[in-house]
Amino acid sequence: MEENRTRTRIFVILICAVLGILTLRLGKIQILDTSTYTGESRNNAIRERRILPARGAFYDRNGVLMVDNELAYTVLVTPRYFDEANISFLATLLNLPDSLVANRYQEARNWNSFRPSWIERGVSFDVLSRVMENHHLLPGVSYEVDQKRLYMTSARAAHALGFIRQISRSDLKTRRAEGYRPGDLIGQTGLERNYERRIRGSLGSEFNLVNSRGQVIESYLNEAEDIAPISGFNLELTLDSEVQALAESLFVNKRGAVVALEPSTGEIITFLSAPDYDLETFTRAVSPEAWRFLRESEEKPLFNRASMSMLPPGSTFKPFIALLALESGVITPSSTVTCPGYHPIGQGRIFKCMHVHGTIAVQQAIRESCNTFFFEMMRRIDVNTFSRFANRFGFGERSEVDIGEQDAGLIPDSAYFNRVNPGGWTVGTPMNLGIGQGDMGVTPLQLARYIAALGNGGVLPTPHLLRRAYHPDTGEIVYPDIPEPVNLDLNPRFMEIVRNALREVVEETSPWLQIPNVSSAGKTGTVQNSRGDDDAVYVLFAPFDNPRIAIAVMVENAGFGSMSAGPIASFLAEKYLTGTISPTRNWLFQQVLDTASGPLPSGDETSTRDASP
Amino acid sequence: MRNWYNNLDFLSILLWATLAGVGLVAIYSTTHGPAAELLLSGVRRNFDRQLVWLAVSGAVLIVALLLPVRFYQVSAFPIYIGTILLLIAVLLFGREINGAKSWLMFGPIQLQVSEMAKVGTVLGVAQLVGIRRPKSMGIQFALLVVAMILLPALLILLQNDAGTALVFFALIPIALFWSGLELDLLMIMIAPALAAYLAIVYRPGAIAFAVLFTAFMYLRTRDRKLTSLAGLFSGGTVLVASLALTRILQPYQIARILSFTDPGALQYRDNAGFHQVQSMAAIGSGSWFGKGFMQGTQTQGNYVPEQSTDFVFSVIGEEFGFFGSLFVMLLFLGLLVRLTVLGSRMKHPFGVMIASGAVGVYLIHIFINVGMATAILPVIGIPLPLLSYGGSALLANTALMAIVLSLYMRRDELSIYGY
Repeated sequence: MEENRTRTRIFVILICAVLGILTLRLGKIQILDTSTYTGESRNNAIRERRILPARGAFYDRNGVLMVDNELAYTVLVTPRYFDEANISFLATLLNLPDSLVANRYQEARNWNSFRPSWIERGVSFDVLSRVMENHHLLPGVSYEVDQKRLYMTSARAAHALGFIRQISRSDLKTRRAEGYRPGDLIGQTGLERNYERRIRGSLGSEFNLVNSRGQVIESYLNEAEDIAPISGFNLELTLDSEVQALAESLFVNKRGAVVALEPSTGEIITFLSAPDYDLETFTRAVSPEAWRFLRESEEKPLFNRASMSMLPPGSTFKPFIALLALESGVITPSSTVTCPGYHPIGQGRIFKCMHVHGTIAVQQAIRESCNTFFFEMMRRIDVNTFSRFANRFGFGERSEVDIGEQDAGLIPDSAYFNRVNPGGWTVGTPMNLGIGQGDMGVTPLQLARYIAALGNGGVLPTPHLLRRAYHPDTGEIVYPDIPEPVNLDLNPRFMEIVRNALREVVEETSPWLQIPNVSSAGKTGTVQNSRGDDDAVYVLFAPFDNPRIAIAVMVENAGFGSMSAGPIASFLAEKYLTGTISPTRNWLFQQVLDTASGPLPSGDETSTRDASP
Repeated sequence: MRNWYNNLDFLSILLWATLAGVGLVAIYSTTHGPAAELLLSGVRRNFDRQLVWLAVSGAVLIVALLLPVRFYQVSAFPIYIGTILLLIAVLLFGREINGAKSWLMFGPIQLQVSEMAKVGTVLGVAQLVGIRRPKSMGIQFALLVVAMILLPALLILLQNDAGTALVFFALIPIALFWSGLELDLLMIMIAPALAAYLAIVYRPGAIAFAVLFTAFMYLRTRDRKLTSLAGLFSGGTVLVASLALTRILQPYQIARILSFTDPGALQYRDNAGFHQVQSMAAIGSGSWFGKGFMQGTQTQGNYVPEQSTDFVFSVIGEEFGFFGSLFVMLLFLGLLVRLTVLGSRMKHPFGVMIASGAVGVYLIHIFINVGMATAILPVIGIPLPLLSYGGSALLANTALMAIVLSLYMRRDELSIYGY
């Protein structure tokens, strides 16, 4: 039996050894390496759900709510936990065709099996409730509360406000650190893009325990670690939604742009590029047809003409040349030029005038829009003096404002002419600039700023769309960083001559431009272009003595400036200043509505007609 | 002779009941947690069913305690033959679950016959050793014992249940050890298993082991025959295992074997290593005190597959931490040592063999099961004795202990039929 005792002892040692090895192993996993495994189990079971903050709302300058949010729900599927056999069940609940759900499920699977991807956006609460009632039958299905932009006014202001869309792959790469994930909405254009950071707010998080099929079991630590979302800032804009809406209705069937400013501050009252589009389109999934139309239409609705289109300013530039000539001393207010109906350089073939003005001085030349006078000015002025002066008015440069999409325009100098004329150029080359034609381009935004400066008596404001941003919960107020208006230090006497000439344009040459009971000053322009009929341009400020609005209107291919652009500007100023349109002008209003931009050329046709009033 | 209940070993029964109780707690946590309504209805009833099986097992325990020693000795061979017949019946009429054809249906009751076969085999081998003439231990007798264990093992292999078959193979050295085989031979038998394990985990270690083991055998016995056998067995195993892992086996088979060495590796974590990644995350995140009853994120989220059956230890590790694990280990230690001691006190080969057989079966299951859950062994699907959900296993394991206690209670009667 001694033998038996030894074997018993060996066997007990074996038992202790086996259980000892296991216990040591457990000690290593549960005590030494526990942090590794704790992390792993957290990653498994604790799922973060992002709670989107309320995106900032937009109000116009009178406190009218323009852009708000509406709750919408997004139904998501995590392919790893989703049973493909449930596709048609889910499709039925969502009222979608099976094939669509199947396609989106495939896409989601290709993107990432372990992450929730959307199956349907903009789901109503009723439909969502139906899906969630069957939650236990649909492992892998979850939802996210989403927001949809809601546009409250009849004013669309599409190019000013901008739209939000799903973030693109390339933006995602650069902005992932800010918390963007695939499918997130982000401001793509306009204010939505410019103030994205302010109006987005910060994301909240809700932590839940989920099971191996992705179904929520309960909240993690009783919501102790949850983070509440913080709403974005609301924006108080400088736009006047009523004037904006009026501008949009006046631009029916027309292409062009309107920018209206408050001259003393630079606040943008109206910002229109026509044709525009309905921002509503982008609150749903944009259909491929709609998107193709917006991108490929000849009329370029997505193109922001107000700050991106570069066109010669035509005769609206004559006041500028007059100021330049007076300031640089090549003429005095009483100096005269004789107009025989053309300028002698080029034997009168190139530099034509519309009339034989005879001997005229500067104020009359502006009023009568005499080409010869202004050709002569540019013959006398060095082109670099011209470009420096233009730059002081903000031409040829972007302005530091909250309009992201801007073209700097083109203001030529000697270096430019050397570059584009390798064969050499003569004194005649820059002369076209005198009537705002030739190798130059300005945007409607720049024109509005310039006419505002004339209205102010030589103080250049910085145009901007945002008055201030305030937080809906904390009340915190943030002002945009807008530069103070710049005094251009122009001789008040010269300025007075130009301003008076502009008033005479309205009061003496064209009754169509007059605003009942309001004195205004303005200048028309008709610009030849390569697209077809001439573009009509009009700049205006009113009231004359203490201007509260300055407007630049451009209508593409609409002929004389005084017949379409001018009345539009006068109606907008009237509406803004008096709050209504005088019934005595109903006939003109109807006529403007009936005016349409000329057809776009089929391609080969180019206009070579001369400049004019 | 004292009263029968004075001889009843209450300590073993207490340990048995505690272990079964811990098992019920773990199963309850998997079926009645906060996410219970998301479970399949079949899974949700696991706790209730286990409770019923525990009652049945308790009844079997009582009946087994009432039966006389003679009954076990007389019926040992018939029971063994009966289980062999049942194993054959399973092959013919059995039902396949999870790829293994191991179940026989008796109306609403499913019986995993391979679990019953453990009891039958332990009884059969014990009786064989018990009726052996004294001092007749030879290689022929040893082969007879081996054959008796191999027969059910092979039938279970045919059911495609390699895990359970492995338990029978591991039982062979234990049975031989207790039937008095020389320790040297026993070591030569066990060495290949260690060599193969090392060949998987760390091949240079396996080669070193083979060399050292052969040298050790020579120094111990100075016997050329034994030494060459030692060298042949250990070295051969290393060679075969290495070849198998590089040339012979299919890639998926290799992955299943190798994945436990690093289950979290990129090529394993979503397939062959998935069970162990989840199980380790559960056990490891339990830390010292665990996350609390029904608070384990892995358990409640149902991340560990088979968490109420083969991976039940992950529930204990996660929700009760290292102290919970240690508690279970100590319970097992107590029960196993206690049963070994009871066996050694019986002084009759039949009793000794039953006790050591029961302890052997438990020990093999515990080692493989917890070793698998903590990834020191590959995934081999066998339950943790008395804790895992599963009626057949609970019944079989209870029966093994019950027979030991019954024989111990009447150990004085044993000698009547002794040598």
